Amino acid sequence: MKHRHPVLPRASIRAFPAWTPWLFLTPFLVVFTLFTLWPLTRSLTLSFQQTFGPGASRYVGLGNFQFLLQDPLFWKATRNTLIFTVASVALQVPLALGLALLLNRPGLRGRAFLRLVFFSPSLVGLVFVGMLFALVFEKRTGLLNTLLHTVIPAFDPDFGWLHSSILTSLVLAALWLYVGLNMVYFLAALQNVPADLIEAASIDGATAWQRFRHIVLPEIKPVAGLVVLLSIVGSFQLFELPWVLLDNSSGPDNGGLTLVMYLYQTGFLTGDLGYASAIGWVITLVLVTLALLHRRIMRRSE
Amino acid sequence: MPPRIPDWLKALSPGAWVMAVLALMSSGVILLSPPSPRKGMPFWIFSKIHEDTYGPIVSSWNGANPRRPVDLQLIQFYALERRLLSGFMAGTPVADLFETERMVASRSFAGPLDRVGFVDLTDRLTSEGLMEQFNAPTFSLWTSRGRIFGLPHDVHPVLMAYRADLVEAAGIDMAQIETWDDFLRVLRPLMQDFDGDGRVDRYLLSGWSTNGPFTEMLLLQGGGTLFDARERPCFDLDVNVELVAKMTSWFAGPDRMCTEAPEFTGSGHKMRLDGVVIASLIPDWMAGQWKRELPGLSGKIKLMPLPAWTKGGRRTSVWGGTMLGIARTTPDFEAAWAFAKTLYLSPALADALFEGAGIVTPVKAHWSRPIFHRPDPYFSGQPMGALYIAQAPSVPARVASPYSKLAIEKLTSVLVALQEYAQNARQFRPESLQPEARRLLQGAQAEMLRQIGRNRFLAP
Repeated sequence: MKHRHPVLPRASIRAFPAWTPWLFLTPFLVVFTLFTLWPLTRSLTLSFQQTFGPGASRYVGLGNFQFLLQDPLFWKATRNTLIFTVASVALQVPLALGLALLLNRPGLRGRAFLRLVFFSPSLVGLVFVGMLFALVFEKRTGLLNTLLHTVIPAFDPDFGWLHSSILTSLVLAALWLYVGLNMVYFLAALQNVPADLIEAASIDGATAWQRFRHIVLPEIKPVAGLVVLLSIVGSFQLFELPWVLLDNSSGPDNGGLTLVMYLYQTGFLTGDLGYASAIGWVITLVLVTLALLHRRIMRRSE
Repeated sequence: MPPRIPDWLKALSPGAWVMAVLALMSSGVILLSPPSPRKGMPFWIFSKIHEDTYGPIVSSWNGANPRRPVDLQLIQFYALERRLLSGFMAGTPVADLFETERMVASRSFAGPLDRVGFVDLTDRLTSEGLMEQFNAPTFSLWTSRGRIFGLPHDVHPVLMAYRADLVEAAGIDMAQIETWDDFLRVLRPLMQDFDGDGRVDRYLLSGWSTNGPFTEMLLLQGGGTLFDARERPCFDLDVNVELVAKMTSWFAGPDRMCTEAPEFTGSGHKMRLDGVVIASLIPDWMAGQWKRELPGLSGKIKLMPLPAWTKGGRRTSVWGGTMLGIARTTPDFEAAWAFAKTLYLSPALADALFEGAGIVTPVKAHWSRPIFHRPDPYFSGQPMGALYIAQAPSVPARVASPYSKLAIEKLTSVLVALQEYAQNARQFRPESLQPEARRLLQGAQAEMLRQIGRNRFLAP
């Protein structure tokens, strides 16, 4: 049987005037201009101004960026963000891949249920997770300290996770939240690995590790790259989790201060919107650079 | 013969035309609709208890002033903060009257005085004799560069609440306690290890280094401060060094007398009910909160003035604060001002706030009202109101700085670092902690100066 593809008559294509696409684009352009382009432009101009509370500002050129380079708090926030990013990516990606490999095993019973169990933390919001883990990490009565003190009686139940080990606490909370989501990405990629390739390699005597190393890994590489990039971007945007976990603060000795949190504190707690805009633009530049780098690496490997 | 469709109509499909017409019509309706008329003077508040207590007074005002009614609006704390500060920063609509907490109000003082979003009430307060009617130290929190921008809602003196049942069962007489050293010495026998695991299971005081409002309150009690009278940071004062070292000796080491019993969580409440902590330092509003949330403590606790840092020293401190401010943008300042006075000077409000929230009024004339002198069964028959009122004139004055929150965070960082130092160096005596305390406070001072130095209106 011959398939007949519907063909739009030439006359009807010609009936649309040249401005028709613009008509359809107009709502988007209006919203984009109002809520994205204008704030971006405004924040760029603000980053060259010093602001002092309501209605007072002056032009300082690159002054905010110069101040930023010598600002120990900015570097502390950068250091914390980088440590969190590296630790998160280093833990989350292998763990998510491991879970995905386990769930992808043929003949596994209860796969859908397990997938739901691992994925469900990412269905709740960051604020909820922050509040939940604030209880988990509480001194004396918190779940973690109670458990550790029961298992290891020498462990001090008054150990302050949110005082002494803030970044560890943040990484653990983020791990619980995001590992399931990343697992789903990997699972989707694993399910697209051609089964015949794996089968052929098995017949040729390849071990499980060799099959993973030479077939599975190259096949899922683009998804792995995407997961890494998304994790890095997400880590650089970290704000709600530490903000809630540390009770609207950056923790003792700014141990939980992240770049976005510093931006927020500067702009909205001390009213220095110009400096906050400068921080925002630096974060943007870092993320754009990372994205370009990632693209380049992925292209090279292809 | 069917009618000929004009060419321009063919430019879009019928569906697209329907969408375009609907979009145009809805936009037109929105543009042409007049904004909903104001019902009166909007008054933003963030506390449900305040809403309940203000209701009758607002109704009575609205009955007497039908042309200038008040529209009481309860707004979540953080939403009010955002709307208020955004309004002041960007000129978006704000209410005529606001109730706002100290950290929010002080942040609006960051710019030049003539740009502060609240009306400067200094001259009115002076010319109408209101300065004398309110508890004097209470104005300090709403003052920037000598100008007052709010009417005080409260005093919030702090007292010590202790487990009278446990203390009396141990035969301890609290009247012996005048200073913090006495407190530690007299109550020390109550610190016990019940399960024999080598760890203390009962502590003398609820308190910890990362509880910023708590440590600031203790600092103020001892005569310390984070800002001087000219609103400049002064972390490295000798008195601050002494107090910070002393506090650290309470928080760190095998013999520490404090533990963390959070004020607003179920776990903290359970620790209080279980007697894990003997005493807590509570302002009047927290006493009201305990009565609502901790009925299990009724009849088991008593209040007393705080032990002083030194003999003859201050026996109270201050914790929290709310003010009523009037927006510069109000179209009728006189009506807003008249309402503000009616509300805050009302004896009925003084009674209702104490009854509902345990809050003592800052209006001195109302302090003799019977409600404040009634024995309270919750506090073992003590007259809670009278005990707080007795300390109200002695509350320390505070400085309203837009950098207050930052300063408290820095104080917390100093305390945490000093605690860590104490643990690493196995040094827990206050005297041995002072050199490190001084070094850390000097570092915090330098950071604060650097940050405030960016603000040319407040730069030291």
